Amino acid sequence: MKPAAFEYFRPVSIEDALRQLAGFAPEGKLIAGGQSLAPMMNMRLARPAQLIDVNDLTELAYVREAGGWLRIGALTRHHELAASALVRRHCPLLAQAAQTIGHYAIRQRGTIGGSLAHADPAAQLPLVAVTLGVRLHLRRQDGERTVDAGDFFLSAMTTALAPDEMIEWIEVPKAQPGEAAAFRLFNRRHGDYAIIAAAATVECEGGTVRRLRLGVGGAAAVPQSLRTLAEAARGRLADDGWVAEVAQAAAQQVAVEEDARVSVQYRRELTELLVGRALGRALTRLRA
Amino acid sequence: MSEAFRHIGSHAPRKEDERLLTGRGCYIDDIAVPGVLHATFVRSPHAHARIRSIDTGPALEVPGVVAVFTGPDLAAWTTRHRMAPPIDGLQPVEMDTIPVAKVRFQGDPVACVVATDRYVAEDAAELVQVEYEVLPAVTSMWQALDPASPLVDETLPANLLSHQHAAHGDVAAQMRQAHRVVESEFSQQRQTHLPIETRGCIGVWDEGRQHLTFHVGTQVPHPYRTALAARLRLAESQVTVISPDVGGGFGQKIALYREELAVAAIARHLKRPVRWREDRLENLLASSQAREDFVRTRAAVDAQGRVLALELEIVEDFGAYSFYPGNYLARVVAMILTGPYRIRHYRYDVKVLLSNKVGNGPMRAPMSITSWVMEGTLDAIARELALDPVAVRRINMVGAADLPYTMATGEVLADITPRETLEAALAAVGYEAFRARQRAAREQGVYLGLGVCTVVESTTYGSKFYKSAGIPGSGHEAAWVRIEPSGVVNASCGLGATGQGYETALSNAVAEGLGVAPDGVRIQLGHTDVAPYGMGSRGARGGTAGGGTLYLCAQEARAKVLAIAAARLGLADPGELRMIDGRIERRAGGQWQDGGLTLADVARTAYLDPLALPPGMAPGLEFHLTYEPPPMTYSNSTHACEVRLDPATGALRIERYLVAEDCGTVLSPVVVEGQQHGAIAMGLSGALFEHVEYDQQGQNLSGTLADYLVATACELPRIEVISMHTPNRATPAGVKGMAEGGVMGALGAVANAVNDALAPFGVAATRHPLTPMSLRELLRGRRPGVAPGPAAAEASRPATIE
Amino acid sequence: MDRQSITLTVNGRNFEFAAEPRKLLSDALREDCGLTGTHVGCEHGVCGACTVLVDGQPVRACLTFAIQMEGHEISTIESVGGHGALSPLQQALHETHGLQCGFCTPGIVMTFEAFLRANPDPSEEEIREALSGNLCRCTGYQNIVAAIRLAAARIRESA
Repeated sequence: MKPAAFEYFRPVSIEDALRQLAGFAPEGKLIAGGQSLAPMMNMRLARPAQLIDVNDLTELAYVREAGGWLRIGALTRHHELAASALVRRHCPLLAQAAQTIGHYAIRQRGTIGGSLAHADPAAQLPLVAVTLGVRLHLRRQDGERTVDAGDFFLSAMTTALAPDEMIEWIEVPKAQPGEAAAFRLFNRRHGDYAIIAAAATVECEGGTVRRLRLGVGGAAAVPQSLRTLAEAARGRLADDGWVAEVAQAAAQQVAVEEDARVSVQYRRELTELLVGRALGRALTRLRA
Repeated sequence: MSEAFRHIGSHAPRKEDERLLTGRGCYIDDIAVPGVLHATFVRSPHAHARIRSIDTGPALEVPGVVAVFTGPDLAAWTTRHRMAPPIDGLQPVEMDTIPVAKVRFQGDPVACVVATDRYVAEDAAELVQVEYEVLPAVTSMWQALDPASPLVDETLPANLLSHQHAAHGDVAAQMRQAHRVVESEFSQQRQTHLPIETRGCIGVWDEGRQHLTFHVGTQVPHPYRTALAARLRLAESQVTVISPDVGGGFGQKIALYREELAVAAIARHLKRPVRWREDRLENLLASSQAREDFVRTRAAVDAQGRVLALELEIVEDFGAYSFYPGNYLARVVAMILTGPYRIRHYRYDVKVLLSNKVGNGPMRAPMSITSWVMEGTLDAIARELALDPVAVRRINMVGAADLPYTMATGEVLADITPRETLEAALAAVGYEAFRARQRAAREQGVYLGLGVCTVVESTTYGSKFYKSAGIPGSGHEAAWVRIEPSGVVNASCGLGATGQGYETALSNAVAEGLGVAPDGVRIQLGHTDVAPYGMGSRGARGGTAGGGTLYLCAQEARAKVLAIAAARLGLADPGELRMIDGRIERRAGGQWQDGGLTLADVARTAYLDPLALPPGMAPGLEFHLTYEPPPMTYSNSTHACEVRLDPATGALRIERYLVAEDCGTVLSPVVVEGQQHGAIAMGLSGALFEHVEYDQQGQNLSGTLADYLVATACELPRIEVISMHTPNRATPAGVKGMAEGGVMGALGAVANAVNDALAPFGVAATRHPLTPMSLRELLRGRRPGVAPGPAAAEASRPATIE
Repeated sequence: MDRQSITLTVNGRNFEFAAEPRKLLSDALREDCGLTGTHVGCEHGVCGACTVLVDGQPVRACLTFAIQMEGHEISTIESVGGHGALSPLQQALHETHGLQCGFCTPGIVMTFEAFLRANPDPSEEEIREALSGNLCRCTGYQNIVAAIRLAAARIRESA
């Protein structure tokens, strides 16, 4: 299957890229790692008239500390996220999740910006983004803005990005002392998209929960941060009973869409299981 | 075995590896042809529709497009395909080269665009305007069984393509007298072969010589050529088929496909070379598919689990077109189903239906469902009677003393060792210890299961079999061996290589028969001007038919070589001579000594000094031989699979997998081990992951490799192989062949393992694939009951044979 | 639809040819550079048969447009070993019978030439995980895994 024809551009600066994006909107598309876009183009499901290749914008590949946040450039590759000492230290959830993406070869090319812009309902990084309340810095030729992850994912494969906008960087809140993270997913085969994925961070003090962040992906068109549930955890004793309760509540509260291959019930059961396992794992890490 | 043979059974690594490892193989798409044009096909988006009109105008406007052809064009240049073997209960069917009046599945080709490159051809294909009148589609076998369902093939009275049934003994009487009648169901899903290299071909027409050279990856070069020539109304000698390196076949590269025929006809019409490279979406959408079977058994049993009678019902969804005869299933599966079990009263009913899906083609182990069904039936009997499943097998299985054993269907089993492979597998897996572990695990809420599956694999079909089955064609194979004046050895047979290591295994056969080193043998396959007319690679006949024929031919060559050597050495009796690795040795005083002659010396004499030959002997060292194998050759194996089931998710983990195999004499143990791994991998992948799904409108939902799942390195276990070798006394060198039994065994072993794990919950999985969702569906709301498990103490004493 | 002049640096050599931007790297390598060792199995990034190295990292050539690769170093299977001088991994695959039809083999060799450089002592689990991005329909993977372990050990020994 060969892609439809397009004009190709390879900007050497962010300003060039944004100018091209503005000029070609809405037909023009950015390509970074290409691991999601190229297959769609080969199958002619995506037919951008112009392709703007941002792989030369190496100034967008970085992981830096920015106060209480990590700032990560949009062009940072998945394998860099998984291996970065800064990410593993300050945002272990992100490192754990990145390690589970696809296969070795895919992780060499895929980028965090690309994954977030692609917004696959079952993808790891969008789930981590909503769970942690990540901030996305978007830029266009004549402006920039910051969008919270919760407002960024609108529907399956659909985000708040305007046709002339690109993600420049992402800011991820650093983990607190006394906090542990766990990422759990269930799929048919190694490397497949998740049927359900659970992302959790638990911060405890003296055996009680100070803060819980909990997200579930793969259940509906967008990843879900279970905020209400998470807020109710404050002050609770972090024991097995609490874990089971949260897991059950998550299974009931998560929105699940009908799917020809996987029943709603199955997804709810998986949610309970994976949330339970993620929380359990996080608590074990805390105790260690 | 290695004491008897010098080269057969050699563990030497493969001769064909170097070019493949370094990217210097030559596959169909690697062949550069100056000026070649590229074909691509316009395909129906509908499962069932009449073609009202096709407007190729817009497509022809695209720069680089040379032509666009449709059904009527191809109809003018080719004959229709008629599949009409004279078999009771099998309907004759015909097929256009490219559909003219209507399309029968989503992906059915309706036009062929020819352009200067594939990119341009695809651009143009999008612009071909086809007007369809959509018809209601038949999308399940149950719907197809309904006489009121829309007709897939309007020349037939119904969608029932084939109905075969037979009865042996008095099944009804046994059912009436039985202690119990145990019913089981088995539902196998639609799958596709998925070779990593898709289909492809290149047609080069020589207008001056009126000759077609057709490059195509094929398992059956000569039968393919015969079909191609006939369809083009050419003499066979006007067609040369050349099969290069092929990236896997698995049965998908046997039929002459419509796309390939179209490319050949178009090349001839345009008088320009044309190539087609199927892409993966086409391969998933429109190549060939397999295995969609529903099976029901009813077994009449006594209280000890002896099977008194067996009733078998099979319904198969065959898709829309016949790429091979629809009665195959009955003729093979039903015929061999009772396998190594003593079942005299047996009847079967097999119905094969047409539907609006891609037509079926034989997929590695087309009889894959056989062992799953027979062994699954025995397990069901065990569960129902609270007996140990191994005890049930032992009480029913033939032993060495029973051989040769004539099955109810008349098939004769000889030189097979199912009891031995069963006991070897059980010993290796530690059967009693497993049952103890299983009981302890259940108490901890951990669910392990062990599945056993014995396979009697029909590998090589002789002409007698085909005749009695009413299947046109021969089971023989042909070979030649030519020794050149320099002593170099060339050999060929009609097989078509698709990765099975023929260059290595067949070199061993020739080397053994002739008396040279395998390294010095050059095997040439796949070129119909070079290879002798043989039936090609199907089933698992490579070893027996190909290797056997070459072995016999090489022995003939050796006889002449030794006769010439004897004459050169002034000996009356060539019996005092032998050839070892190309050197003549003579026996003197009970010892073998170097005779001072090499094969090269003999060859020089044969070609260049014929007056020195024995009187009456013709010059040259070229030999041709055909070999007719026995009507049927079997090999056998027993597979054991241990799984761990997670009831919360339905997820399975294969904890252990082993197979005890007896393939008789083995030409290359290295190649055989690889074949066993690959077959088992395909069986496990099929049982757990693969599924070609169509919706109710006949839309193929498995159009990409993200939808059609195959097992990766993370999902497959390590496979332990225990090799046993009981030679077949009726085949050359005792070869039996193998390559498909692994699929059969894996399907059955993992299915039985899952049901063993599910047993405490009182449910059994009858549908494949065994997805976590489907297993969870069975388990939801159920709690494990009291599960004493089979009594392992009884199982440790093999039952006596009545 | 306009062809542009593209220069690719492959296996240390420059290849200049005219092609549309949409021409896939897999096709450009095979047709314009005459290097047919890189095979096409799916064109949607799943089977891994087309894996090549770009600046030393494994990349699916079917998911890359040739024009994107200007200025990068591409290595294909033709740069690994040769007649009578196989790389340790190629030699190991030969010894363990880690290939049958050979169609997926170049993609696996390229993936692991890179993987073993970055992971010289991998566990079987790590090997299978890295191998899961390459589909093989012939071997069941077992002998491929054995080859990778063998090659890793030999490379470590000779280091």
